[in-house]
Amino acid sequence: MLLELTGITKKYGDFFANKKIDFSLEENEIHAIVGENGAGKTTLMRMLYGMETPTEGSISVRGIKHKINNPNEAIKLGIGMVHQHFMLFPSFTIAENIVFHHEPKKGILYNRKKAEEEVAILAKKYGMNIDPSQLISDAPVGVQQRVEILKVLYQGADIIILDEPTAVLTPLEVKDLLISLRNLSKQGKSIILITHKLNEVMQVTDRVTVLRDGQVTGSLKTKETDTGHLSKLMVGRELAKKEKTEVKVGASILSIEHLNIIENSSKKKLLEDINFQVKAGEIVGIAGVSGNGQSELIAAITGLLQVNEGSIHLADIDITNLSVRQIREAGLAHIPEDRYLWGSAKTASVEDNLMMTEYRKKAFQKNGILHTNVIRKFAKETINKFSIKTTSQEESAQNLSGGNLQKLIAAREIQQNTPFLLAAEPTRGVDIGAMEFIHEQLLMKRNNGDGVLLISSELSEILSIADRVLVMFEGKIVGEFTQADVSDEKISLLMAGGKHEQG
Amino acid sequence: MNKVKNSASKMMQPLLAIVVGLIVGAIAMVLAGESVLNTYHEMWKGAFGNFYFFTSTLERSIPIILAGLGVAFAFRAGFFNLGAEGQLVLGAVTTAIVVVYLPFTGVIAIIIAIFSGMVIAGLWSFFAGWMEQRFQINLLISTLLLNYIAVLFAGYLVSEPFRDTSSAGGVPQSVMINDAVKLPALFEGTNLHMGFIFAVVATIILAFIIKRTTFGYEVRMLGQNRFFAQYGGINRKKVMFTSMLISGMLAGLGGGVEVLGMHYRFIEGALTTPQFAWTGLMAALLANSNPIGTAVMAIFLAALDTGSLGVERNTDVPNAISDIIQAVLIIFISARFTFTFLKLKKKEGKKHGKSI
Repeated sequence: MLLELTGITKKYGDFFANKKIDFSLEENEIHAIVGENGAGKTTLMRMLYGMETPTEGSISVRGIKHKINNPNEAIKLGIGMVHQHFMLFPSFTIAENIVFHHEPKKGILYNRKKAEEEVAILAKKYGMNIDPSQLISDAPVGVQQRVEILKVLYQGADIIILDEPTAVLTPLEVKDLLISLRNLSKQGKSIILITHKLNEVMQVTDRVTVLRDGQVTGSLKTKETDTGHLSKLMVGRELAKKEKTEVKVGASILSIEHLNIIENSSKKKLLEDINFQVKAGEIVGIAGVSGNGQSELIAAITGLLQVNEGSIHLADIDITNLSVRQIREAGLAHIPEDRYLWGSAKTASVEDNLMMTEYRKKAFQKNGILHTNVIRKFAKETINKFSIKTTSQEESAQNLSGGNLQKLIAAREIQQNTPFLLAAEPTRGVDIGAMEFIHEQLLMKRNNGDGVLLISSELSEILSIADRVLVMFEGKIVGEFTQADVSDEKISLLMAGGKHEQG
Repeated sequence: MNKVKNSASKMMQPLLAIVVGLIVGAIAMVLAGESVLNTYHEMWKGAFGNFYFFTSTLERSIPIILAGLGVAFAFRAGFFNLGAEGQLVLGAVTTAIVVVYLPFTGVIAIIIAIFSGMVIAGLWSFFAGWMEQRFQINLLISTLLLNYIAVLFAGYLVSEPFRDTSSAGGVPQSVMINDAVKLPALFEGTNLHMGFIFAVVATIILAFIIKRTTFGYEVRMLGQNRFFAQYGGINRKKVMFTSMLISGMLAGLGGGVEVLGMHYRFIEGALTTPQFAWTGLMAALLANSNPIGTAVMAIFLAALDTGSLGVERNTDVPNAISDIIQAVLIIFISARFTFTFLKLKKKEGKKHGKSI
């Protein structure tokens, strides 16, 4: 056995982040660790990588017990970690980033030529396509990730830990990454893959270990399991099958015509001739890799960005360039892209965060004086109704888990009963339980005869709940599909800038 | 229970700062060769020892409370108003001049004079807010620099056009106000005047506005996350202008009541030398911009000043002891800012090792 963790326990105060975890990794194996947020995946890997020390239990590498006190010791044992957020120098070349701290020298000088040669050889060996002299800042995200992996390999790692590696990638890049992982394992490397995307687990891994509440709930051969079983182990119960009832599509709720947004300084078109409608009783999904104009579209609809040309109508009211408040009064609810930046004030209480879209309403204030009792009751009810996990409504939002904060935001926006909801990345970084809940809420809203615009870089999310799918690429809408003729491949191609072949 | 724990931990920081301040003060006393207990006893007596000292301490706290409330309010909305000094002085000089030139006296004259002082001070602060909106001029810098203009201009007014020429030489000052427009003392034979009531009322009103009104909600949300506020439809410009205006008006009120209740004229330097505005800023920061906390801290800081006079009278420790203790408090306040900043950095760093 290459790596063996036995009886690992990590206690923070009275709280068990990990409890008696056994985990093993064989040579050439790809072993996934899956689990919801807070299940203890990260804690476990941090202990393996020397960033935390276990309260109990032992770690042995190739049969010998080791105490790993810091990442340097882990690297010496051949353990390398690719973090979810890349740690690269943008102004350095790819080769420089890879050899950093282990630079080949010529006397006391850095040997650029040798570094680039070594990196090129390494990349070729593992079948990863990179240009060693390219600057990191010019490299796409997928390439940056390859650099991270090569960096770990250059340091001599045999065991590679990948933390949510596909979270930032496009579907095509994901495909490439999975191929690379297979290659690596064929060439003698062993991989630990932390993820919550079960279809990737099914595609590429040999074994899966499932964590829930800090404990192992299952360790299985991938061949002998399926996604349904794995999610049951993760969540602790069966996930309800989403049933989509037929809803009669009604009149147009949101209608966008010839929308153009031009950047002030560069005169670059951020949005170009956008036209679409969201009708009553439908969920329209906008698919696309982040950064292709979705943020600008969201900002334009919600009044956060000035529109240069074109018009936006919400329930028959022209809301083009109205203030946020006017647009909200016209019937907008908005789950924002970034829950920490736009969606909440983390130092404010749960109650205050819930009031943002309510405090002006008659029920909650009179002549500018807030009805604190009504507010308290409302907050309590909302917390119960949407099962937001918090110690009290006075708790500050920063103490809520990501998924719970997202539930709070969704609850706030959905409860307003507006005719239109813009949901941007509504389930980014939340666990399966919360994701299921939010999707249910969006579907309920649709079934009520309201219009929902779902903007998400998570293709599976769009495919599972949208009635109609638009694809955005470089500020334009490059394709439209109905639920009947939509497919993963067609959208992936368009998302990556490919041409849409009709018929 | 959680609420209690929360507010307890919020109280801990300023309390810890004060305790350490007093310990450092004690070290200074030892170095000066005096008994620590005795010196602190003298300080206590100087600040609260008898009714007269007690009321003097409260009197001293009036401009500190009002300037502090102004800073606290703007800070709650996320704006750092460092211009309390200028606003205080403008409020004072305006009140002093208006009250002398009004054709009548009495309560109405007092109200008009104080109100004009508040308006001028409010507009001065508003002006900084407007420059931030219009020209993106950093508030921290504009409010700070506007202090110099305001203080020097007020000095000019009482040195030239409005100088009291009846007394030759001496400090530039305006004409003595009529007895009928003086703010009455609260107790016979003490300095403590009506202004203290104003300060207490202002504290309560401000606490109410922040906690219980829609405007207060907008102020708090804007101060805690301006993007969240914008997303929810809060008009940043409106809240900023209003909060800067109110902030300046509070400092202006502090200047006005000092003129009508204490000095009975505007004397150059009388409001700047004792550092009222800066002490007010410190009170607001120590109290995390909580209005009631700000008022309590203001009284504490005023007590340090009046108490140290008592110390100087009765021991060999100079009254600079108050400065030493306050310096420690300043270090604590800046340490807290740095600490929050570092924690934030560390958190960002931690995120890198985190899976979703």
